[in-house]
Amino acid sequence: MNRGWMNRTMMMVTGMTLVLALVLLAGCGGSNNDVQDDPTAGMGTDQVEDLPPPPVAEDTTDQIPATPDYDTMDPAEYGVDDVFFAFDQYELDNESMGILSANARAMREAGTTILISGHCDERGTLEYNLALGEKRANAVRDYLVSLGVSKSKLRVTSYGENRPFSRGSTEDAWAQNRRAHFERP
Amino acid sequence: MMLHPSKIHLSVVCILLLACSASLAQNSEFEISHTGNAFIKTDVEVNTLDVLSGGDASVEASDILTRIIGNDLIFSGMFRIEAAEGGTDSLNFEYTIEGTVEGPLRDAGQTGEIAPTTISLNLLTWPGRQLLLNKRYRPLPSQMRSTGHHFANEVIYALTGERGIAMTRVVFSRSTGDGSDLYAVDYDGEGLLRLTANRVLNLCPSWSPDGSEIAFTSYRNHQQGLFILDTSNGKVRPVTSQEGLNFGADWHPDGEELLVSMSRGGNPEIYRITPAGKIIKRLTVSKAIEISPSWAPGGRDLVFTSDRTGTPQLYIIDSDGAGRRRLTFEGRYNDSAVWSPGGDKIAYATREGNTTQIVVMKSTGEDRRVVTDARWRNCEDPSWAPDGRHLVFASDRSGVFKLYVYDDEEGSFRQLTFGDDPDISPAWSN
Repeated sequence: MNRGWMNRTMMMVTGMTLVLALVLLAGCGGSNNDVQDDPTAGMGTDQVEDLPPPPVAEDTTDQIPATPDYDTMDPAEYGVDDVFFAFDQYELDNESMGILSANARAMREAGTTILISGHCDERGTLEYNLALGEKRANAVRDYLVSLGVSKSKLRVTSYGENRPFSRGSTEDAWAQNRRAHFERP
Repeated sequence: MMLHPSKIHLSVVCILLLACSASLAQNSEFEISHTGNAFIKTDVEVNTLDVLSGGDASVEASDILTRIIGNDLIFSGMFRIEAAEGGTDSLNFEYTIEGTVEGPLRDAGQTGEIAPTTISLNLLTWPGRQLLLNKRYRPLPSQMRSTGHHFANEVIYALTGERGIAMTRVVFSRSTGDGSDLYAVDYDGEGLLRLTANRVLNLCPSWSPDGSEIAFTSYRNHQQGLFILDTSNGKVRPVTSQEGLNFGADWHPDGEELLVSMSRGGNPEIYRITPAGKIIKRLTVSKAIEISPSWAPGGRDLVFTSDRTGTPQLYIIDSDGAGRRRLTFEGRYNDSAVWSPGGDKIAYATREGNTTQIVVMKSTGEDRRVVTDARWRNCEDPSWAPDGRHLVFASDRSGVFKLYVYDDEEGSFRQLTFGDDPDISPAWSN
């Protein structure tokens, strides 16, 4: 608990430093733009090409803190993967349960609230697919809770067939769209 | 087939829209042979209206009125139209429609007001030229199409005794990227109007019986909720957002309550709620999915979908949730049932192979007819017109879901919406 708070404070400080750096960089960029925007700057001369190139953002890879800031990350970025379903089904198969076990570990580590959305392929009706999508999302939530993820950290919604991941009316597209998806709410 | 002559008493009725009342030369009774058989249509000549004054604006008004009235009579399914230029003698039509357009005498530009046009429209027998109906209207330019629709309904009522659908509209959901917005379109495909613009999904609209409000489902912060849109000002108010699903609203015929499917953290069940979101009664209790409720016209019974047997099937219960009986035994996937306004038919969507098709049957479950086929790819979300004859539904036969109107007496189809964005969830107004 304390440690989490410490990490968070440190991350905030790091984050603020980054923001400050970006503001400074943006300031530089702004003055260059001023030159370009000056209506007299290019008139009668061909000096425009001599302007310095726009500033390139510094490589900040080394500054990313060792502990990720889960609150700003998509769950997929810390190892929470979507699970897929058979046609017309909401039961979890062995593969899905394996993925959810790994997801549960990552979620317990991250401790953030996650939205589970249920999705369906385009076949069948809009109404029934909304209900089926909810069944899928609920099945995933219940299994995660059984693996020790706090129920209060899990939100559930259904988009049915209305937010497909893959367009098209092929078996592949349908399989892609029958899923429970994890995202930052 | 027997003929059923209906005796129509024509009387002068005061018209809502308009200042002028009709002046009928004589107030008489006519015997009109009306069969109700879709394949015997009444032939009507629609003449281009004579422009008496008003220049280009009146010519445009004449064109609009002639087009709208002709289309309305065709779309009713009960008439064939002879479009005649300047009263050309034509074939064997029984009735003729003619009229005049007078532009405003006053220059509208001077006062800044748009002055109304004076329209006179007549329905006469042919060749006897006996006046059956005369209506005078004083519409603004923006009211020209509704003026034509209004007169068409008068003609349909005068000649058939049935209430026309010429002033009805269809509300639907049009997908745009991640969201989908509600739109309304006149039943003839004109007058498209966008109703929401909030970049989220807006689905499953349902008109209130008087058309003043539309209940629909939307999402706020990923939570599905039921909302009501006021069609007079476009304002949206939240109704309920119980945990989980809040969707499939269907307004009670009395306008005082709605059916809706809510999961409230569990699985979806059918509820009766007030337009303020208060639960009146829970009608189903099961571990199955129970969705897609639709009132019978009297509001005593309702049809809905349950997958309690393992596949979604239609059931009927009364408004207390009692008297449950299964309605469909054919097909492994039946949903989206809608009870016809006359109470005699139920339309729904059924799975056929990998596609979904529209079925119409008697509300007893007899005479099941699949009215679309694989050429239509998927057909979903039927909704009845108030005439109980026409159905609107969504089909992706063109590669993208668009709306189509089906005439259940004639077996004919007409495309209602166009464009590249998918249109789904249509609902026909009263």
